Amino acid sequence: MNIHEYQAKKILSKYGIAMPKGKIAYTPNEAKRVTSRVSLRGPWMLKAQIQSGARAKGYFLEEKAGKKGGIRLIKSRRDIIKNAEQMLGSTLVTPQTGPKGKLVSRIYVEAFTKVKRIFYSALVIDRMEAAISLLFADIADTDINELALNHPEKILKIELPLDHGIASEQIRQVLEFLKLNSRSARSLKRFINGLHKAFLENDASMIEVNPVGVMANGQLIALDAKISFDDNALFRHKEIAKLQDDYEADERELQAAKYKFTYCEFDGNIGCIVNGDGLAMAVMDELQDKGYGAACYLNVKGGVDKDKIASGIKIIMTNPKVEGILINILGGFLRCNLIAEGIIAAASEVGLNVPLVVRFEGTNKDEAKEILLHSKLPVIIADEMDEAADAVIKAIEESD
Amino acid sequence: MSILVDKNTRVVCQGITGTQATFHIKRSLDYGTHVVSGVTPDKGGEMHLGLPVFNTVKEAKAETGANASVMFVPAVAVKSAMKEAVEAELDLVVCIAAGVPLKDMLEIKSMLKGSKTKLIGPNTPGIITPGEARLGIFPENIHHRGKIGIISRSSTLTYEAVIETNRANNLGQSTVIGLGDDMMIGMDFIDTLERFHQDKETEAIILLGRLGGTFEEDAAAYYKSLKKKKPVIAFVAGDAVPFGHKMGYAGDVITQGHISAQDKKDAFADAGITVVNSINQIHEELLKLFPVK
Repeated sequence: MNIHEYQAKKILSKYGIAMPKGKIAYTPNEAKRVTSRVSLRGPWMLKAQIQSGARAKGYFLEEKAGKKGGIRLIKSRRDIIKNAEQMLGSTLVTPQTGPKGKLVSRIYVEAFTKVKRIFYSALVIDRMEAAISLLFADIADTDINELALNHPEKILKIELPLDHGIASEQIRQVLEFLKLNSRSARSLKRFINGLHKAFLENDASMIEVNPVGVMANGQLIALDAKISFDDNALFRHKEIAKLQDDYEADERELQAAKYKFTYCEFDGNIGCIVNGDGLAMAVMDELQDKGYGAACYLNVKGGVDKDKIASGIKIIMTNPKVEGILINILGGFLRCNLIAEGIIAAASEVGLNVPLVVRFEGTNKDEAKEILLHSKLPVIIADEMDEAADAVIKAIEESD
Repeated sequence: MSILVDKNTRVVCQGITGTQATFHIKRSLDYGTHVVSGVTPDKGGEMHLGLPVFNTVKEAKAETGANASVMFVPAVAVKSAMKEAVEAELDLVVCIAAGVPLKDMLEIKSMLKGSKTKLIGPNTPGIITPGEARLGIFPENIHHRGKIGIISRSSTLTYEAVIETNRANNLGQSTVIGLGDDMMIGMDFIDTLERFHQDKETEAIILLGRLGGTFEEDAAAYYKSLKKKKPVIAFVAGDAVPFGHKMGYAGDVITQGHISAQDKKDAFADAGITVVNSINQIHEELLKLFPVK
């Protein structure tokens, strides 16, 4: 789960990480009201709160929002209300949001902070090494995505232990790498240990402070912040779970998540229902090989509740982009008969007006086939995955 | 022969009194697996499925000689269950649960370092040696004993590969292992490839890889370094998944690299491994290795 910048900053400030003063505003009037509390004379930063990187490089879909991006430097108080009016209720498109963009429902008013230079920092879990990795990079002339793809050697990576903070020699290593003056040492140590503690105590999967600013006195300041939390650990953090912003997620994804399934959309026209991410990938590869693509897939995982499965199948059946459905289930934990019953329940509710191909293997597969045959639904049953892919493609081509 | 589990493996089930555990342990018992006991805290002294239930793994080991655990506890309880299994010095733990918190996995990985316990999973269908032992949730009816070893990073694709060995003139399987669908797992391709190379019964190996991590690259490098190699056929899922989809922030790219499924296939091919583009081509490659006489 991801949260907004202002929420991440609020959490990090509890761990001693320095940041500019800021307040959140939902209306232009509110923005005006908080302005003087943030800074008496300005300048100020107005920052659109959507969960995406590269907001400054973004643009608004609506004409009324003007030509500027999602992060704006405001020098006079009267421009605050004007820019807040432009941004609030408008749709911001960034390289990461896709062409649909995201609706801006609140903006963060922050005191502009002058810094001498900036760099990238993050704490992530390196899953291959089963370690927490601290990352730093100089981003004066480039951005972190470009560095990661083309110059990974220019990113400093330090492993941090689970049970204590950063060692003094590692602090020196970071200072040297970033060519920071030694008077930043104390501030750097406080910054790193704050991130580390926030990371562990909140079951984060990633904290990114990008950029960190270095002020004239050598102190570090967090100019932006992102936190991603481990969804599987949210049960330990009820307060954080409440920060979930439903506007940020796709409606069908949200629906699927409610049943603990995963749902993803792509550009093709075939809806896939599988039980396993690897299987989802293999099915999509198979379709791609044959010149077709998935419109979406639903992974029902090891679901054992018939009603949830039916609700999941409905998500696919009601997606207007879907011209054919391919269900490929390899029952282990999951029992095939539950899927068959789910298909019938879903079809009786929302109707089945596209071709449906089913392939069952494993636990209770014969029972499942029997159930479908008796249902009199126009279902095509296949024995192998490639056969199932061929069948759904043929059915779509014939129905055109 | 087989690897890791056989009819002599004495299995304890952690979390035996739960619904899913009951369903699957009963099937494992019917299959002939030597399940000797179960563990559910606070239910020690009871009998379940005809097996004695203990409060701790330590007691189960002392009383019934268990040396391997199949763990059906929920994700949130995996860390404490693992701690027990490691402290009791079991040889093997198979952890079925999906969704173990990342921080718990970090702690589990550090627990395992220097211990004698090997972990399969989490988020795995488990391990099966056909006709001898089923530790997990495999649909046992598709398995037949034979000469092909299977190692997979995708639960459901494992079954697909099993079916492929059957399609190939019923070559059958020596042992089938699901390593787990997660990025932080116990045993990996190298640990298991090594064992399959030592196993006389295994004549060829199927590797099923997927997008994410560098398990495939590491396995390819290891295989390349072997002097005596058994034939390996590999499939890697994820060609059709656009890079960066659902991957989020730059941090992931930095730790995991910009690796596509094709990169992984190339690494396998370069190491002398036969790569198939569709999982349903595996049986054809198997038939080339073992022609019908």
